Amino acid sequence: MTRTRDNRFISKSFAKRLNSMLRVDSRRMFTTPLFYIMCGIAFAMPILILVMTTMTAGTTIDNPQTGAQTTMDMFTNTWQIIASEGGNMFSMAAPAADADMAGGAAAMGMNMDMTAMCNINLLYFMAGVFVCLFVSEDFRSGYAKNLFTVRARKTDYVASKTIVGFIAGAMFLICFFVGAVIGGSVAGLSFDLGAAGVSGLVMCMLAKIFLMSVFVAIFLIMSVIGKHRAWMSILLSLFLGMLLFMMIPMMTPLDSTVVNVGMTLVGGAIFSVALGAVSNMILKKSSLV
Amino acid sequence: MNAIEIKGLNKHFGRKHAVSNLNMTVPQGAIYGFIGENGSGKSTTEKMLCGLIQKDGGSIKLFGRDYTNPDVRSKIGVLIEAPGCFPNISVWNNMLIQAANLCIENPKQEISRVLKLVHMEGAASNKFKNCSLGMKQRIGIAMALLGDPGDPALLVLDEPINGLDADGMRIMREVLTDLTQNHGCTVLISSHILGELEKIATHYGIIRKGRMIAEMTAEELERDCRTYIALKTRDMHSAYRILQSRYERVDEDEADWLRIYDMTTPEDAVQFLYQNGITVSEIKTAKISLEEYYIDLMHKEGKAYDAYKR
Repeated sequence: MTRTRDNRFISKSFAKRLNSMLRVDSRRMFTTPLFYIMCGIAFAMPILILVMTTMTAGTTIDNPQTGAQTTMDMFTNTWQIIASEGGNMFSMAAPAADADMAGGAAAMGMNMDMTAMCNINLLYFMAGVFVCLFVSEDFRSGYAKNLFTVRARKTDYVASKTIVGFIAGAMFLICFFVGAVIGGSVAGLSFDLGAAGVSGLVMCMLAKIFLMSVFVAIFLIMSVIGKHRAWMSILLSLFLGMLLFMMIPMMTPLDSTVVNVGMTLVGGAIFSVALGAVSNMILKKSSLV
Repeated sequence: MNAIEIKGLNKHFGRKHAVSNLNMTVPQGAIYGFIGENGSGKSTTEKMLCGLIQKDGGSIKLFGRDYTNPDVRSKIGVLIEAPGCFPNISVWNNMLIQAANLCIENPKQEISRVLKLVHMEGAASNKFKNCSLGMKQRIGIAMALLGDPGDPALLVLDEPINGLDADGMRIMREVLTDLTQNHGCTVLISSHILGELEKIATHYGIIRKGRMIAEMTAEELERDCRTYIALKTRDMHSAYRILQSRYERVDEDEADWLRIYDMTTPEDAVQFLYQNGITVSEIKTAKISLEEYYIDLMHKEGKAYDAYKR
């Protein structure tokens, strides 16, 4: 003999749902080795770059076929690995104190400017890899089945993943910053901030952190498209990230002001909401297993 | 009110129709055995029901509301294919994650309760990846049972018995029976182990090639599962011929028994064979099991389908 009952269906507020989802995601993030590995890489990367490139700075390589000389023009100032004044991506000239040296180097044949290739902006790609792996794990493990069965609203998931991805990205940037300071000290590089000043450096870091939210929102879209196929999400994220890469030095120069911070903060919030809506739509319209 | 009401459900993957115009009704408090061959559309139907894949047509209502309603969906417990757990974290933490997803008030108490129900309280600290298949299934069932007092209202279990030992099967039977009889929970369960399903199901739905070919209560099945007499003689071939001349349906089963259907007492058949010079060496009275009924139905449907195709 079976028994029927009166079911009470109670709605839960967005705040309560987001809170519980955030607890899950942050707990997962802070217990996954991947997060600490990436923090470690973000920390070690500037130390290795600054120390190793300083050792080879000024080396000239002759091309036997063309006879052209290539000068290994490296970092002359610690903050070059964070940003440049004016946000010029292609010639990340050193701050005022070293400007003449950078200009001189550029005049010598082909200039291999390491500062443009190896800097903090690489971490946006690292955050992309992290977001893709973090989201794909949800689908690969089958956790998405449990989650989306009881959570019909996908907004909670998207909001939570964006916030957690943003926090992870911010942590990577901070680790890199700390690593850069240590690396600069070990390499004996200048810490002169020139005209940018300390406030410019602080604003620059804040702007970079807020800009991360735009990238995380994009990476999240790619992750929900790829679902359990992490490789696909990563490739898509790297491709799209590459297209937007030029935006980073322009938006977050070393001499950033409150305007830069405000722009990245507002822009980040708008993009996160708008791109979050796209992720939400993709999750709603596609199969989740 | 029915717990599940599906009308005209359709789903195709490319050119393959996984589910075609499927209708299904699961009353509240029922244990609904959802039976079908591999690839018949059981899991696809269950996934659509849980909102995991998009339907192409038809309607799904859960407790009278649309299946996309978040308040209804938070009342579902699910175990589809395999438990959705993170392999590198402990069973307890996996349970905590699902408890947080369900916004359960007292997660620790609730997790202890459900783990105890499936006799898995000792495995709470194990990493999920280190659990055996049977343990994983039990944990999956425990996870599906998580909820505030009285929840879940609906349990969707896809092949939950796979990998369970005899004790595990018994525990699951007890848990499901208790949930439906004492808490009014509704269970939709698909399984290929029909003998086990037969012990608990109150309703059945049989699906073939994405279509529901039969829906019935356990009582109706009981009525349809005819009794028969099975006997053995030294000369089976002659006995078969003689019995066919008198009884409407006589069959020889896989174990070389001659079956005479719709008979409850063997005297008449034994006497008739004796009159024709054949002595019965062994005799028994039995009933068609769910498995036999299902195979028979599939066989008939297969023939009908082939004829239709031709």
